Amino acid sequence: MAENLARLDSSAPFLELPAARRSRVRRLAESFTLDLGEPDARVAGLPVGTRQRIEIAGALAADPGILILDEPTAVLSPDETASLFASLRRRADSGKAVVLITHRLTEVFETADRLTLLARGRTVKECRVADTTAEEIGSLLLGSAERHEHASQGGLRPPTAADRGRSAVLDASAIVPSGTSAPPTSFSLAEGELLVLLAIDGNGADTLARCVAGMHPFSGRIEVSGRSLPNSGDPRAFRAAGGRFVPADRRAEGLVASLSLAENLALPTPPGRLFLDGAAMARLAGERLRQHGIRAESPSSPAATLSGGNQQKLVLARELDDRLGPPRLMVAVHPTRGLDLSAAAAVRDRIEEARRAGTAVLVASSDPEEARLLGGTLEVVYRGALSGPLSPETPLPALGRRMAGLAS
Amino acid sequence: MTVVSRPRVLFAAAIAASTLVLLAVLVLVAGASPGEALAALVGGSVGSGAALGETLTRATSLVLCAAGAVLALRAGVLNIGLDGQFLMGAAAAAAVGPLLDGTPNAARLALLLAAAAAGAVFAAPAVWLSERRGVPPVLSTILLNLVAAAAVTWLVRGPLQDRAADYPQSRPLSTSVRLRPLAPGVRTTAAFPVALLLAAGSGVFLSRTKAGLKLRAAGASPAAARAIGLADAPLRAGALLGSAAFAGLAGGLEVAAVTGRLFDPFGSGVGYLGIAAALLGGTGAGGATAAALFFAALGAGSSALQRDTGVPAAVAMIVPGLLVLGVLLVRRRLSGDEA
Repeated sequence: MAENLARLDSSAPFLELPAARRSRVRRLAESFTLDLGEPDARVAGLPVGTRQRIEIAGALAADPGILILDEPTAVLSPDETASLFASLRRRADSGKAVVLITHRLTEVFETADRLTLLARGRTVKECRVADTTAEEIGSLLLGSAERHEHASQGGLRPPTAADRGRSAVLDASAIVPSGTSAPPTSFSLAEGELLVLLAIDGNGADTLARCVAGMHPFSGRIEVSGRSLPNSGDPRAFRAAGGRFVPADRRAEGLVASLSLAENLALPTPPGRLFLDGAAMARLAGERLRQHGIRAESPSSPAATLSGGNQQKLVLARELDDRLGPPRLMVAVHPTRGLDLSAAAAVRDRIEEARRAGTAVLVASSDPEEARLLGGTLEVVYRGALSGPLSPETPLPALGRRMAGLAS
Repeated sequence: MTVVSRPRVLFAAAIAASTLVLLAVLVLVAGASPGEALAALVGGSVGSGAALGETLTRATSLVLCAAGAVLALRAGVLNIGLDGQFLMGAAAAAAVGPLLDGTPNAARLALLLAAAAAGAVFAAPAVWLSERRGVPPVLSTILLNLVAAAAVTWLVRGPLQDRAADYPQSRPLSTSVRLRPLAPGVRTTAAFPVALLLAAGSGVFLSRTKAGLKLRAAGASPAAARAIGLADAPLRAGALLGSAAFAGLAGGLEVAAVTGRLFDPFGSGVGYLGIAAALLGGTGAGGATAAALFFAALGAGSSALQRDTGVPAAVAMIVPGLLVLGVLLVRRRLSGDEA
């Protein structure tokens, strides 16, 4: 960690004794109030949240004249975000330039002097923050994007006792993801239930979700639709039990970027016996693109050419396809991360539709807003341990404290 | 993406042109005129029926090895072991061939199946090492090539040696089993159309079958294939074994159609040239076949080059390597532009 930080920080001494470096790094971490972990830790073993904080610390330490941050808070706790913004504010007040690229309106209105609103690569609005309101910018963002017929309904209720009486679709008991020191964790989901595992990245929410989806080995027992999943992690067993998976990294795991949209939609069970049924594939692609409002040049363009939002819609279109039988359990990791407001709303709507149709949904998220908009039950994960069920109406500051491990 | 295709064509033209210029310079250095050299190259490869026959005979193994290389590359496996698998196929044909009797066509089929199987069996250790021990097939198949070359050296001096001859070579196949030329005066046999058909079949398999689509998905993105629920390990293993069977079959056909026996050294690196053809052909079955035909013509032409102008045949065979390096350069440039 210390070596990486020294590389990022152009003001670091060229030669430095390890002990001196360790203490300098500790002082740096304290001065930015960022939790960077142990100076001697190997970065390869650190969670992505900590890596992000190391990068931010490295950029701040060099004290540059212009600082550009691209979505720096995606993996920070609310407290860390506040202290980062306080230090950005101090830099700006001392006459240095800070450019913040963000999807979150609250961040803009808390910290920025001026804003430039971009949509689809074009400047929609440029003004002083004091001259506008969050409501105006929000409606501009939604308005400039594709019109959405089915805006989120809101008013999603947490599951009632009657729901709990239904048969369990997912039953995870005493699971510990391999390679972690998390305490054994148990949770279950019935038909039509939604559970959000909310955590700052690196606290194990995504790993728990990946264990369920057969993408990470674990100890303990996971049953989906009454079938026990192998501990070594087997996505095929998960899918055979009616499981569907929306991974965090769409480009690496969600889609085969070089294959066409039609081919992506046809996988994993393309139509046809031995040969591909081209007509059926084209029909399927046409239907799905229309149903899910996926904006694409043609069904034969490579998935890589889609925007992030359309890629995520494509993943959901494939995963919610009932050609493979009804989806019983959907596991989604950061389903709306990095998406524009309209695409995020569309993704949430799809998840809600599936839930209403009886699919049990498990979401891992690091964004309290996303979690609250999805509705359902919340469980805050801190260092691998669950907080116990919380209502989606839990106030943000309380969620933030739990995510940062300040309240139990 | 039309934006990409124009620089690609320009780059390809530039590379072909600079390769030709370099070749002309080398011919001048060797003391001949580039015009005469070109005439010898063209005349020796496609200038007459016999020359064309020579080209197609050389192309047979190359087309099969190139198709095999494409099959593995599309599944994300770099099978450097085509050459060793080719040798094992040839060895199997040389071992089984002299024993076969009876109806010629049944005997030929048995011979070629044995050759294809030998190629696949020889790649099996690479599959096992890769899936169970994480050893990259690039490494294991290179090492297996060394094993195959040593095995041929031993076989033709040991168990397969022709007692009737003093040379290190195997007993000949009986003439009833050997493939006959398609026309009098040329060496080309039915092996060439068979190779073309198989290469076309592998192209159809990749682009038009369900298994081919799954294989391309597993090759393009192993992580996504796994997450989607494809059995990526069996797909990779199948592609490598299939690729090896193509090379083994090429070895068997070389023995059955051209040499009639195994000797040492054998095959002059046709497996490596197959990989070069696959890369030059853009890892597609059609392109790879075209590149294999071009390399074969170059090989046939280079013999005429040496005979007619005294320029060493090796000079012409510099071209494949240079072309492939150029293609890889273009691809890197373009993927850089796209990113």
